Amino acid sequence: MTAEALEGLTATPSLARRTLAVFTRNKLALTGAAVLVLLLGFCFLGPLVYDTDQVHTDIAQASLSPGTEGHPLGTTDLGYDMLGRLMHGGQTSLEVGLAAGLLATLFGTVYGAVAGYFGGWVDAVLMRITDAALAIPALFLLVVVAAIITPSKPVLILIIASVAWLSPARLIRGEALALRSRDYVHAMRLMGGGGGRAVFRHIVPNAIGTVIVNATFQIADAILYVAYLSFLGLSIPPPAADWGSMLSAGITYTQVGYWWLIFPPGLAIVLVVAAFNFIGDGLRDAFDVRLQRN
Amino acid sequence: MRIRGMRTRGLRVRGRPVRAVRGWRATVGVLLTGALLTGLTGCGPDVKAVTDLGAVGGQRVDGGTATMALPPAAAPNWIFPIAPAGYGATYNSSIQDLLYPRLVTPEPGKNGELTMDSPRNLAGKIRYGDGNRSVTVTLKRGYRWSDGKPVTARDVAFWFELVRANKKEWGSYTAKLMPDNIKRFQVLDSRRFRLRLDRAYNPVWFTSNQLNFMKPLPRHAWNPEDEGPKKAFARLSQHAKQLSKFDSDPLWKTVAGPWRVEKWSPSGRVSLVPNKRYGGPDKPHLDRVVFKPFTTAGSEFNVLRAGGVDYGYIPPSVMAQSRHFKKTGYRVDPWESWGITYLVPNLNHPVNGPLFRQRYLRRALQSLIDQKAIAKYVWHGAAKPTLGPVPSALMGRDATPYDPARARRLLASHGWRKDGGTLRCTRPGTGAGRCGKGVRDGQKLHLELLSQSGSTETSNTMQAIKSSFSRAGVALDIRQQPLNTVLGTTVPCKRKEPVCKQWQLGFFGTGGSWIFPADPSGERLFSTGAPSNMGNWSDPRTDELIKRTEYSDDPSALRDYARHLASEVPVLWTPNPAYQVSVIRNDLRGVQQNPTLTFAPQDWYYVKKRGKGGTAGQGGGAK
Repeated sequence: MTAEALEGLTATPSLARRTLAVFTRNKLALTGAAVLVLLLGFCFLGPLVYDTDQVHTDIAQASLSPGTEGHPLGTTDLGYDMLGRLMHGGQTSLEVGLAAGLLATLFGTVYGAVAGYFGGWVDAVLMRITDAALAIPALFLLVVVAAIITPSKPVLILIIASVAWLSPARLIRGEALALRSRDYVHAMRLMGGGGGRAVFRHIVPNAIGTVIVNATFQIADAILYVAYLSFLGLSIPPPAADWGSMLSAGITYTQVGYWWLIFPPGLAIVLVVAAFNFIGDGLRDAFDVRLQRN
Repeated sequence: MRIRGMRTRGLRVRGRPVRAVRGWRATVGVLLTGALLTGLTGCGPDVKAVTDLGAVGGQRVDGGTATMALPPAAAPNWIFPIAPAGYGATYNSSIQDLLYPRLVTPEPGKNGELTMDSPRNLAGKIRYGDGNRSVTVTLKRGYRWSDGKPVTARDVAFWFELVRANKKEWGSYTAKLMPDNIKRFQVLDSRRFRLRLDRAYNPVWFTSNQLNFMKPLPRHAWNPEDEGPKKAFARLSQHAKQLSKFDSDPLWKTVAGPWRVEKWSPSGRVSLVPNKRYGGPDKPHLDRVVFKPFTTAGSEFNVLRAGGVDYGYIPPSVMAQSRHFKKTGYRVDPWESWGITYLVPNLNHPVNGPLFRQRYLRRALQSLIDQKAIAKYVWHGAAKPTLGPVPSALMGRDATPYDPARARRLLASHGWRKDGGTLRCTRPGTGAGRCGKGVRDGQKLHLELLSQSGSTETSNTMQAIKSSFSRAGVALDIRQQPLNTVLGTTVPCKRKEPVCKQWQLGFFGTGGSWIFPADPSGERLFSTGAPSNMGNWSDPRTDELIKRTEYSDDPSALRDYARHLASEVPVLWTPNPAYQVSVIRNDLRGVQQNPTLTFAPQDWYYVKKRGKGGTAGQGGGAK
């Protein structure tokens, strides 16, 4: 190897730098990230500067239109300040969506990696379970479970994660099937490494790009699931709120033109889901080796 | 649709679901046909002329067609007037009454009370004798079946024979009441019959709540072979199950009421035309009345806005848009029901039952419910406060008005102190100033409410109550479940039964918790062990007062009963919602919204439009 060639190799930026470089070239992904940061700030820091009572109703102040003194975004049909409620509801939607998305990704990744790495009857059994579960419409399952159990934040996270892990499981199982025949996995086995080490130290870390990209989509889907369930009346009981239940309550007043009960939560759901999807697209490109070379 | 005299169960009577006969194809077909006809004829109200009319007065013009919207997912599916459980919804019984009228029909009086001496009653004189142990009824002259045969006392006896022999199949049967309480039915002559009763009854109660079931049925047409009542009932019921033949089966062609069936589609669209041989004073003015089914309130609302129905309804949340309908020639009129609405506390709940058994505590909780504000802001005016165990029209004043300060005082004076935002009992035991029998030291005032889901107004009512309770230190958890789950859980129970642990407070009153028959007595609601005494209320004084309303003819009996329970607060009164917020074409007059939820389209008529030669009725007739 020549000195020039060695110099060229040492000058090659690290994987993280190359990934970041590709990601930052994607304007939609950057916009998504910016929107997400803004929404997180709005929901979690907003109440610190704009404090409202989101526990007690004030029905004499119900359905005030935006611009009313003290209520820049108006009030709900129970007199809650709409702007404050949007922050309050966003916390639930984001917390449940993020937690459920991450939990589903985590479980699905391990499940898929185990199935893919071990293969044989383990793979057959695990993947038939996945296929069977995938055959049942997720929304149907969610509605049934949520109707039986009174939803709370942890319960909602578990319910949503319980149907969302299937997709990452299948995806990572495919990756694991390819990775298990790599030389470094064989070498580890020859040196006496066990299955657990293979899965957690070699398979999963090498599929991390796929995992991360999938996680962003899982979070977006989980936020939508929260909205679906809340829209169907299976949300966390009041006075807690989330964007889906706010939207559902607002729809009741479509005919009377209370637009401020519908557009803000609807827009927030669209924005956060789109943001996660753009980020996911950006990360997928960023982890793509061919794009990094370019 | 409500069931009269029952805890409201949506489309359920006595625990069984109404067989809903509907199909999307049929419904879509009905809607498309309606829309097509509307489009083809260019009809729908002539907005300007109809708007100018105002809501009263006008010159009557006979003829035309009126279309009334049925409640969401309600499809009339039973024509035989003796309905089994599950077929007794008011849209069925109301249509049956138009074909086969009752002996007596409750009508609203001048002061909001109900009277039983309607001119449309088939019964003329009703005389009680033998110390109120017998009643003699004389049928009015002139009533004939549509085949020309006279309506006789034997026809009423036919109804009684069928009901007595098949009482278990009759959806309105309650043990010891009709027909068990009639020892003998005597036909005196062609127009008179006498009932021998098993004991003395209050004549007002008996006429309102027992005699109102009775109606003549055409014995000559329905039982020409004089079969036994069991066999005849089985045969008639078999015919009544053939929904697609209601408009063609000769059996149902013989009617005594003001209307006869023209068309009855399996999807629930029913079209009636006048019975030309009707002998009563309330002969129809219209050529036709159509009852139109809808799968959802949303679809009804859209058709109403398009002018596809003359008499429809809007959700309470749209009350703010009532101006739109007024501008386009409709009037908006909430249809108030003869009912009451309440939260039921489970007095036998193993943990919180002892709390609910304290009168001061029930009164304190009642004082925290701002019924007026909830009715105004949450129900948008389509509800009225419930003031006691009888409809509010019969109650003089609110015995426990909204007064949070009084509630706090009451609780504090009985040893309840705030600890971490929630009240705790600090002085257990009985006697003055103590929490009361069965309440433990340090017990939290933390309650759970099982409420029906599916209604924005109900959810908001419960949230408003929770909020008000919370300010006073009473924690309330709300668990919302579908109506059938709530009805299946909130049942009368004994303390050690597992079901008694499952609920503390229950609410099933989105359409009113209880709709009374004409006489709002409480024998099925608040007497000890009554089938609909869900909260297990048991009070000797209440039982005594209820017996008086049932058996004694003392007019003060009902008032004393109402006053006693209004102050005892056996349940927490909440605003009683209107049955529906009706939207009626301005030129359609004579519509009286009977609080017992029956309707009388024979009284409806169109009036002449102003500034035009034509009538609104002609426009309506094209639909």
